[in-house]
Amino acid sequence: MLRRRRRHPSREPNYGGALTPLADVLFTLTIFYMLISRFVAAEQVPMQLPSPRNSLAEVESMPQRVVINCRLGIREDGSTEVHYAVGPNPPESLDAIAERLIGWKRESPAMDVVIRADRRLPYREVRDLMRLAASAGFETLHVTALTEEER
Amino acid sequence: MSEAAEVSVHPVLTAALPSGRRPHAAVRQRGERRRRMNINFSFAPMIDLTFQFLIFFVAATRFADPEGNLSTRMPRDVGPQAVALPLTPIVVRIQPAGTDAGEVILAIDKFDLHPADFEELVPAIRSILGLPGFDAETPVVIAADNAVSWDHVVSAWNAALRAGATRLAFGDS
Repeated sequence: MLRRRRRHPSREPNYGGALTPLADVLFTLTIFYMLISRFVAAEQVPMQLPSPRNSLAEVESMPQRVVINCRLGIREDGSTEVHYAVGPNPPESLDAIAERLIGWKRESPAMDVVIRADRRLPYREVRDLMRLAASAGFETLHVTALTEEER
Repeated sequence: MSEAAEVSVHPVLTAALPSGRRPHAAVRQRGERRRRMNINFSFAPMIDLTFQFLIFFVAATRFADPEGNLSTRMPRDVGPQAVALPLTPIVVRIQPAGTDAGEVILAIDKFDLHPADFEELVPAIRSILGLPGFDAETPVVIAADNAVSWDHVVSAWNAALRAGATRLAFGDS
């Protein structure tokens, strides 16, 4: 028995897993995800943003900003409603957001407001929010849209 | 006796000898030393780490479209104007076309211009801004109907910016 093993060592079954192809696939997947990943802010909740043709929207550097998300919600009966939320926070009423806007503007006058609204929303829903921002003292309005990049 | 003498030769000296004339015992000794130095590449920790990276990126990746901002200065809410505006604003009206929410009718007040779409709106506003008495500082008011989708309002805004307008405002249609 011992002799046989010594004479034909290569005929012994190899039960070990082939690690090289596994490592190859893992590395390929890791590199793929590393390359395509974009680290976005938590306030950029998923929604259908406006996508104007030849968009001039650009990424701006705003150290002090507050993002108001306006999402389109669908009730159980099929009707639609608008959810206003500050960043990734739960939805709030427009009155509550108006109070917050006034407070933030009073505490830091350099603060900017960014409105991220779903493209399918009726204009009146976003216009109400814009009026609130103007009343709170925000002079510059920033509205989020898709950029021309990678489209 | 001769073998013992060969073994005691310093490795540096044996390496300096021509390859064909190395002492057999020194070569044997080096081979044994190599066998004793067990330098193996350990796959398991590397794959563990790679798995950690992979799981992190798979969990953290979201296929989001690139987004940016369109900016404008809003008029201050100071109540009714005491005096008339010195400039005639360019009012772009957006009305829904029938029952189809995806179609809109564009018109520019006082100039009898009716661009067919937002691409035609760009040269229309640009031509007005080039008229005597108008320039990039001329306010462009986007007056959209309440039912018009936000996407169309932003498209009109983008068209005005492309035409060279710098002062934009929003109104009701």
